Amino acid sequence: MKARAPKLAVGVAALLFPLLIAEPLLAQAAPQPPPAQPDNPPAATPSQNLPDAPSTTQTESKPESKTEPSLNDLGFPTEQTQPDPKMQALLDKRTHMLKIHQRMGLITTIPLLATLFTSVNAGGKNTSNTDRNVHLILGAVTGDLYGITAYYAIRAPRVPGTQTRGPIRFHKAMAYIHVPGMVLTPILGAMAYSEKNKGEKVHGIASAHGPVAIVTAGAFGAALLSVSIKF
Amino acid sequence: MNARILIAVFSAAFVLALPPLATAADSQWVLDQSTLTYHVSHPLHQTEGVSHAARGKGVCHDGQCDFLIAVPVKSFDSGDSNRDLHMVQVTRGAQFPLVTVRTKLPESASASSTINADLDVEFAGQTAHYKQVAFQLVKEGAQIRITGTIPATLADFKIDPPSLLTMPVKNEIPIRVEILWRPQ
Repeated sequence: MKARAPKLAVGVAALLFPLLIAEPLLAQAAPQPPPAQPDNPPAATPSQNLPDAPSTTQTESKPESKTEPSLNDLGFPTEQTQPDPKMQALLDKRTHMLKIHQRMGLITTIPLLATLFTSVNAGGKNTSNTDRNVHLILGAVTGDLYGITAYYAIRAPRVPGTQTRGPIRFHKAMAYIHVPGMVLTPILGAMAYSEKNKGEKVHGIASAHGPVAIVTAGAFGAALLSVSIKF
Repeated sequence: MNARILIAVFSAAFVLALPPLATAADSQWVLDQSTLTYHVSHPLHQTEGVSHAARGKGVCHDGQCDFLIAVPVKSFDSGDSNRDLHMVQVTRGAQFPLVTVRTKLPESASASSTINADLDVEFAGQTAHYKQVAFQLVKEGAQIRITGTIPATLADFKIDPPSLLTMPVKNEIPIRVEILWRPQ
């Protein structure tokens, strides 16, 4: 009996000793408070017209208890959770330029419509030099504003890996019509203007000035409508 | 005598080791499926963006459950890539990539057909609190389907309302939530 007691104690110790070690390890394995999000400046300055939202700057909220799940538990890939200030800056620049593109496009429609309106008196048999000059000037203004509009669209940054989907595809496709049209129309218009000034009837390729201008204006209008209203 | 002392010591150690094991969570829930839909109103456009990329987890302990749901901002698809990029820009989605929703519910709520939850929503670098948001619960076997609408607004998150043809969108951007939870 006396000999067996120490052996029994050793056996019990072998059974219970791991628990003594596991207790602190279990305490360490309990859900840790999630790390705070990387230091980022607060969001962009809000519009002064907006009322104050009931909010605080976003950081990863520390769970109030150990049972609260954390973002780490959800298993998002790192690239989906990490802030990307460079991408945000690129998006900001892109939006800024495309807003100017939108505004300039809308402004361009005014002289464009005026040019179309004055084209009625610029051609035909009985036209005065004044009517043709007005049409020419409005066309020139339209061309300049169109060029500025196109510049902001072309120079707006692209977002890598983005596949173009939706109405914007039609909007971009129309450019293949109105861009060459806006180059050809003034060239043909200059030829027609010269022939008219010589007292000649507009003939040859110069006679295409009108149809090319109409197709160009149509494509421009379709491009504008495709991003303005829902078809 | 020595053996008895040894046994007493180890027995005491055994008792002391038990409490940490007893604090494990009673039950956990995992988000199985999700459909989150935002709605934006404009005089010329009604737009919806949908995401199925939300992930969530719920931990229940002592009759109280803590839920966390998160969804990447850029996972929302409105059918127009240009609009989606503008959405990410205006919501500062590259800087704050996730929308998170936290809520606490009593464990007994799973037996109800409707619940009213207080939500803490983090979005665009801001946190907004929504009280008593109504959700419907439908049990589908062991799973629970929860549907409801979060009455979010652009002003809650200090988001400048985008505009089209000089007309801004409406401030209200309700987010319809349809999620399926399963016990883990």
